[in-house]
Amino acid sequence: MLPGPSMRFIAISLFALPFGLMGQSASQTNHYVGSDVCKRCHPDVWLNFNKNPHYKSIASGKEPAEKTGCEGCHGPGGNHVAAGGGKATIRAVSLMSPDQVLDTCLACHSKDLSRANIHRSQHTEANVVCSNCHSIHKAATPKFLLAKTQAELCYTCHATVRAQFNMPERHRVNEGAMQCTDCHNPHGSFAPSWRTGTDKGMVTQAFDNEQPCLKCHVDKRGPFVFEHGSVRVEGCDACHVPHGSTNAKLLRRPVVFTVCLECHNGEGTFGRENLGVFAMSSSHNMLDPKYQKCTLCHVRIHGSNADPTFLR
Amino acid sequence: MKLRFAFFLVLPAALLAQDIVAPTTGVKVGPQHGENAGDYNIVQSWEFGYRFASVSGNQDEYRSDVNYTNGVRLLSSYLTVNSKDGHGGWFDEIVLTTQGLGNDPYESVVARVQKNRLYRYDMTWRQNDYFNPGLTVANGDHVQNTTYRWQDHELTLFPQSSIRVRAGYGRVTQDGPALTTQQEFDNQSAVYPIFRNVRQEFNEYRLGADGQAKGFRFTVQRRWEYFKEDSADSTASALTFNRSAPYRGNTPGWLGNLYGERRWFALNARFTYAGTKGDFVQNETAMGLDRFGTTQNRQVIVTGNGNRPVTTGDFNFTLFPAGRLSIVNNTSVANTRMVGNNEFEQFDNATFTVSNINFQMLSVRLVTNSTDIRYRFSRKLDLFGGFQYADRLIRSTEDFAVTGAPLAGLTAQQSNHTNAGIAGVNWLPLKNLRLHLEGEVGRNDNPFAPISLRNYHAIRSKIQYRTRNLTLSGGYRQNYNNNSIQITAYSSRSRTYNAEASWNVRPWASLDGSYSKLHLDTIGGIVFFAGLPEFASNQEITGNQSIYVSNIHSVNLGFRFALSKRADLYVGYNLTKDTGDGRSSLAPQPTAVGQLLYDVQTFPLTYHSPLARVSIRITEKLRYNLGYQYYGYNEQFGLFSTYQNFHANTGYTSLMWSF
Repeated sequence: MLPGPSMRFIAISLFALPFGLMGQSASQTNHYVGSDVCKRCHPDVWLNFNKNPHYKSIASGKEPAEKTGCEGCHGPGGNHVAAGGGKATIRAVSLMSPDQVLDTCLACHSKDLSRANIHRSQHTEANVVCSNCHSIHKAATPKFLLAKTQAELCYTCHATVRAQFNMPERHRVNEGAMQCTDCHNPHGSFAPSWRTGTDKGMVTQAFDNEQPCLKCHVDKRGPFVFEHGSVRVEGCDACHVPHGSTNAKLLRRPVVFTVCLECHNGEGTFGRENLGVFAMSSSHNMLDPKYQKCTLCHVRIHGSNADPTFLR
Repeated sequence: MKLRFAFFLVLPAALLAQDIVAPTTGVKVGPQHGENAGDYNIVQSWEFGYRFASVSGNQDEYRSDVNYTNGVRLLSSYLTVNSKDGHGGWFDEIVLTTQGLGNDPYESVVARVQKNRLYRYDMTWRQNDYFNPGLTVANGDHVQNTTYRWQDHELTLFPQSSIRVRAGYGRVTQDGPALTTQQEFDNQSAVYPIFRNVRQEFNEYRLGADGQAKGFRFTVQRRWEYFKEDSADSTASALTFNRSAPYRGNTPGWLGNLYGERRWFALNARFTYAGTKGDFVQNETAMGLDRFGTTQNRQVIVTGNGNRPVTTGDFNFTLFPAGRLSIVNNTSVANTRMVGNNEFEQFDNATFTVSNINFQMLSVRLVTNSTDIRYRFSRKLDLFGGFQYADRLIRSTEDFAVTGAPLAGLTAQQSNHTNAGIAGVNWLPLKNLRLHLEGEVGRNDNPFAPISLRNYHAIRSKIQYRTRNLTLSGGYRQNYNNNSIQITAYSSRSRTYNAEASWNVRPWASLDGSYSKLHLDTIGGIVFFAGLPEFASNQEITGNQSIYVSNIHSVNLGFRFALSKRADLYVGYNLTKDTGDGRSSLAPQPTAVGQLLYDVQTFPLTYHSPLARVSIRITEKLRYNLGYQYYGYNEQFGLFSTYQNFHANTGYTSLMWSF
């Protein structure tokens, strides 16, 4: 039992002293110096930093030091200043491992729904992390601070996709009418509600849980009394190639009847009834050109309210 | 030295040039760091110009593939206004970019306005004029573009606070000709579907909020969506035909999300619901003469509705048990239930001839679970692997009855199970050399369609060497699927190879190039009917296969050259060449059926496009630009007995101005 309040204070002080000294020592060796100090040696970075979204943390004046300005990402600059610079004395993104980059950015940017799947995205698995696509200080786009315009950025790694978007039939990405992120979430996506849900392709979902194609092609969304089962169960890419194709309508084949007949062959175990996707009508003579153009008559091929065979 | 510095500044932006002839992306005018005006800094440039196009050959294919026409345009513009200290008046930032305004087929406006801590407003508007060639009808039997317009607005209040409120509005409209179900017949009984203007409109309203409590973040969003189509057909050419088919649909939707992250774990749970409903009525009347010259009339009335509620739930749990190890488990459940019914009534010559009702139900319940594990041995080597499982249950009811009679439905149920494993490695054997290799093997016990994945595997690999001025990379992807069963067989094999190089030769010169080869060969058993002279009537043809072989070689080259600081030259070339299966022409086959299938097995063509662009600095705030692009489309043989080849010379001349 301690004799009195004063003695109790002394005892607690003695007990706490080493910890206090340790803390003081740490803060003396490396401490936050504020962005004003950084700009003295890095005027080129500072010159346009007021246009950078990260400047908000400085303008706010209410964020804690570890989330403010330069030191929000690069860590405390005390040692860096004392050493007269050098990457070894600061958290330099160029020296970070992919995981460290991810952790640094997600410390602030994990709260958005669009990044909810970032830990399981294919980009993360391939060590493609934030700094591979975003350039904080030399961004080409003021929104999202991308290192290049979006399509060019994605083409950097996805050369075959560039090849697809150069084909005669294509979604107009190169022309600027669309962007890759209209259909894909580069930060990872939720499991699709179509196909068997296992394709990771980082395909984003329209209306939170449907195929991205329907975001623009709203007329194909329905609901229809007669749904074309493959559209809903397997997805639009059962018949179409989404990026680009040498075939009209982005179809998987140059003529439409082979697209249809490759499924509608009457083979058992497939289809809604598990008895096969029904074969074409016996009244159709495939040697007559008009029957080779299935969608000439089956115009409502994506779904119909009036006709089970999509005729009207 | 100053010159070199300027080149360094210009070069990265200049490399962003798109592959199309305009606008002059990447080149900027005006002071590099903008101009100050009061408490704001402004950067802006506006590119006004004239676009020209001269096309020979098949105009319809040109319009389908390119579609640029003559006229004056605001080819591009760029504007940013930023407060200098982050404490502006009504706003701290305005960003505005536009492209193709005037009459380009691809127009867009993207804008952002925000005031720190108070609000952020984002807007996107796009318009796409596209040409529907109607190839299956008459090689394009109309002249109008169909226009898609998209717009989206999102307002976020208190974007930096722990509670954010979001409101949004989106709209999609389509206006212009589309293939209708209306058909006309000639005296040979040939059918000609008609193009008519369609009018479709989709509106979406969103309201939501993000919050943060005890380290967890949650999102709630409510959506209201409305779709309507009120296209009407009317003609009096070969017969009198009128159709009115208004359709109205709405989708109330919910989204909820919870996210939390700690030092050793992260979790994410999401719930979504969309309850789509649609009501329709279709009224058709037709009057004309039958083959004997007798007056006939017909009225068809179809009424009904459809519902499709979709519910999904996702749960992600990520563990970081050690600094080098991460384990992610994801479980997702999706339930889609489509129910629709209609009543079909037909009157022939004012006499009630057909009356029936239909009921359709298709439900898909999908449960997926995946586990991904990644272990980092060192900064240079990490391995990852995973297992995915999916269980899909499909239920179907198809009912039909003449009005008044009992329904005698066809009900079915099936389940599919997919198991897939994935493994891969990331390796940095040298300082600037990076390798990525992964493989996936999957099995589906009961695929839905003959072309669905059944026994499949995929290999994906990539190698990249990167230094400050040089990037070399290459890749290989392989996707094989075999869905063969007893009678028919389906096999699909795709292999892609690619190689790229990007070299900043000098501060004033750079070279980019890529080559890809995309190989695809598929074979599928098909069954159909055909009537031949040797057959008395249509006979079922079995034992044949649909074969498709494609070998697409794609080249993309770009060379940029800066002539002092006054001029910037870009020369590029794009090539897509499908060599098919190697055949140079369609050889005669011994049978008509054989000929039918042989003719569509491959579709070799060449599509190439050289381009050149020069940008000349006149003053600090003014540049003159000139661009030219050639498009050449050449089918090696025409699948529709006609060749759709075209050649087009397109270009633009413009002034880029900063005032």
